[in-house]
Amino acid sequence: MNSDKSSHEHDDIGCLEAIEAFYTYLDGELSDPQAIADFEHHMSHCRSCFSRAEVERLLNRRMRETGTSKAPDELRSRVRRLLDEF
Amino acid sequence: MTEDDDLKTFFSREIEASMDNLYGTAMRLAGSGADAEDLVAESVSKAWSAIETLQDRRSFRPWVFRILHNCFISKYRRDAVRPAESRLEENDEEGLAALLNEQPDEFLVWWANPERQFFNSMLGSAIMAAINNLPDSFRLTIALVNIEGLTYDEAAQVLGVAPGTIRSRMKRGRTLLQKALWQQARDAGLAATNDNNGNAE
Repeated sequence: MNSDKSSHEHDDIGCLEAIEAFYTYLDGELSDPQAIADFEHHMSHCRSCFSRAEVERLLNRRMRETGTSKAPDELRSRVRRLLDEF
Repeated sequence: MTEDDDLKTFFSREIEASMDNLYGTAMRLAGSGADAEDLVAESVSKAWSAIETLQDRRSFRPWVFRILHNCFISKYRRDAVRPAESRLEENDEEGLAALLNEQPDEFLVWWANPERQFFNSMLGSAIMAAINNLPDSFRLTIALVNIEGLTYDEAAQVLGVAPGTIRSRMKRGRTLLQKALWQQARDAGLAATNDNNGNAE
């Protein structure tokens, strides 16, 4: 958080700005502490954005659960043979 | 252990650790299991041939994904049956607000108060189908970040674009995905119509 703001002061960023920061925040890519604090403050009092964020988190989890592939054993064997030849 | 042995041990370990992610990405690029396996095998060979270009071992993952992506572009893409890049890709620099303005009001109301039950009941296959129907650039970016776990910077290295482009693609792609899921929900009768106060009717 910026030194010129107390822990109780946040910009009221509004829903459009919150939506702009939605995925960078949820994906752990929002690095500025003040931006994180402002986003979280908005989430704390905006029911719509909080609800969207919850659903996006759920969707992220479902994507990871169902989208992850397992390499076939045949491919693993093929690549191991390749590695042995290097 | 010689320096070459150390390098080979490092390379083998990293390839083994990345195998599932490489195969998953190859499947999304090539579209079939057999082609995906060929693509991974070719990429591993090319990666070993180019190992001297890896300047920082901590960057192995985006480096090898980048080789896989380039292999696909150079050899497989001509035969692929993916839809053409969307016009949205050409307008990445435009704001999300413009995209939101293109969405039906009913979608925006629903998105502000989506039914958690719908997402809980939605089959994983339906979610993946919605992702697979996105334009290539959004589909690949979302898959690299949200499924394979790459950072935005890593995804940018893989796809050869600026990190800001990844941020833009994530916003636009995820908004398009939400819209596709909303349409699926409507088609299945699962999405209730909400009034302007967010109350389900």
